Amino acid sequence: MKYILRRNRESKRYKGIIAEPEIRDFFLGKIWSREHAPFSKEKLDCYISRSFFKIKPAISIKPSSPSLFGKRYFCNRCHNDNQREFVEFDCARCGKACVYCRHCINMGRMSCCTELLVWNGPSGIFPKRHVFDWNGSFTVLQQQAAEELRESIGRKRNHLLHAVCGAGKTEILFPAVFHCLRKGWRICIATPRTDVVLELFPRFQKAFPNTIMHAYYGDAPEQKGLAQLVIATTHQLYRFEKAFDVVIVDEADAFPYTYDRSLQKAVWKARKEGAPVAFVTATPTSELLTKVKKERWGCSFIPRRYHGHPLPVPRFEPLWFYDRQIDKGKLPKKLMHWTKRRLGREEPFFIFFPAIPLMEKAIPLFQEIHPDICGVHAKDSERKEKVMKLRNGEIPGLLTTTILERGVTIKNVQVAVVGAESKIFTSGALIQISGRAGRHADFPNGDIVFFHHGISVEMDAARNEILRLNKEGFRT
Amino acid sequence: MNRREIDHCLLCNAPLTIRMDWKRLFVNRFPQAICQECEGKFERYRHEGNEEVDSLYYYNEAMQDYLHRYKFMRDVLLAKVFAGEIHRHLKNRKELIVPIPMHPEKWKERTFSHVDELLRQARIPFVHVLEKTTTEAQAGKSREERMKTPQLFVLREDAQVEGKDLLLVDDIYTTGTTIRHATQVLMEGGAKSVKAFTLIRAKGGQEAIKASPLMF
Repeated sequence: MKYILRRNRESKRYKGIIAEPEIRDFFLGKIWSREHAPFSKEKLDCYISRSFFKIKPAISIKPSSPSLFGKRYFCNRCHNDNQREFVEFDCARCGKACVYCRHCINMGRMSCCTELLVWNGPSGIFPKRHVFDWNGSFTVLQQQAAEELRESIGRKRNHLLHAVCGAGKTEILFPAVFHCLRKGWRICIATPRTDVVLELFPRFQKAFPNTIMHAYYGDAPEQKGLAQLVIATTHQLYRFEKAFDVVIVDEADAFPYTYDRSLQKAVWKARKEGAPVAFVTATPTSELLTKVKKERWGCSFIPRRYHGHPLPVPRFEPLWFYDRQIDKGKLPKKLMHWTKRRLGREEPFFIFFPAIPLMEKAIPLFQEIHPDICGVHAKDSERKEKVMKLRNGEIPGLLTTTILERGVTIKNVQVAVVGAESKIFTSGALIQISGRAGRHADFPNGDIVFFHHGISVEMDAARNEILRLNKEGFRT
Repeated sequence: MNRREIDHCLLCNAPLTIRMDWKRLFVNRFPQAICQECEGKFERYRHEGNEEVDSLYYYNEAMQDYLHRYKFMRDVLLAKVFAGEIHRHLKNRKELIVPIPMHPEKWKERTFSHVDELLRQARIPFVHVLEKTTTEAQAGKSREERMKTPQLFVLREDAQVEGKDLLLVDDIYTTGTTIRHATQVLMEGGAKSVKAFTLIRAKGGQEAIKASPLMF
């Protein structure tokens, strides 16, 4: 629908339109390609001609400083400037040599002749009345961290919340988020993992039942309304620009965030100018820690879990030539006993594998013990359902790759890592994996076994860090 | 990318380990573009007797991914992946190479012609003699629907095919409708013989290949 105001004023006809709420809600804070927009072409043209949008080319070309090397390309969506990821080709649409960005091609190709739309119309007003429906209680440490976080955000200062796995990080965010919502600010909680988005979204929905919030991830369904609280994967932040008054990055050390510079840039470009960014993690990278020191960020540290029990410490078990045994179709004895024991005690369990092919070979072997055991990996479309089933006790245990190393909370879960010496299991990953166990107050202990073919430095580092945190948390 | 060497696998982004040798140093016309692991996932086409249509690979999961990224996500660079193979296969053919054309509108929409680009990267000279008349795609149609489609092509006005041996080139062979239509037009135009080559061949029973929507 179009609202057209017509007024005759001294033979000058004024013709303007009032932006439809749907179109504003969709585009506010976003940077979106014109061809992928879910509105009709005519409608967009109409808005563009009335300068409701600013138009940017998707790839901009800058002359490089020593002009010897020709041009430098820059992707305006993912802010990638790695020249190796730009591809030149003869484009039939613009009829000349064109360039596209391979970095964000999974979200639809951006080339020189693609146009990005940035909303230039009136901004929305966010409600300041919100319901906060949560009646848990904080430990002293949690309370302190929550207040520090809120203070940092109030002072527009960046913040690091360093808390062990199972310290109740999500809950600590609640007061700060509520504080921002009541100020009418727009907030984003970003995380590198889709699983974490899926885990956080219902929890926030429950805590803030009257707030409009959207979840954005790979195949997220279309959501209506203007979201004040956005929970998104860091990849999805490519599509936002100067949108948020506060950005909170949860699990800030997870792959691929630490690995991919442009994701880090995406976080900074998604916030409004001068808006604070808060990082939440159990295993901060040294890079992040130096930044905290150098730039004087706020920092909170929680070495204890919310239930006050120490972190369960992993134990090492040698499992020599596990890969060869699994290749031969034989389950290593120790692993079999461990699994049977969990089944006997009816405890849910995770078994982590370093690679998908190894895991897939192991699935039928485990299914001989119990037919309901199944495996999940990054490309599994039923990942959500399988984790849900484990939580409801419909299946006894899951085999998984590192995809479930974080953000998943299951009561009384027991953990085994097969091939803990593999390169993929860094100390950070192992700490996260260990953090799956003993999260519930009724079951503060859980078994964590690192089955290995030789102890690696990373394994030692992970165990020492857990022991250090326990010492720190129980220093009196 | 065009002047620089490819140093990461175009499909899985793993770093490529390329051993340098004399041949590489001097005649590196088709540098390796994908890693061994990705290459192993493609299934080579086995020749089943004397056939009119020749192919290089079967349509399997890896190929589906490839085609999706190349054709529908429009990652033009992926034309390099099979350049060497196509070159080796077609360089000694005596026939005139005729790619299956795209409708101009479709061509604009996709911004490039996928068959032309494959041949260009493989450095195989080609001539367009056909013109596509419809914009609808064969992908996504059932076998029955494909069989019933009216003629898809017309001969270009300036085309000279009389008495010539021709080799049609397309990306994928599913039911053969496209190739059959093109062959018919060319034979009517007076061609001496028409053979065909496709990069991919759907296995028997593998029918409707789904047209993947643009993911973003």
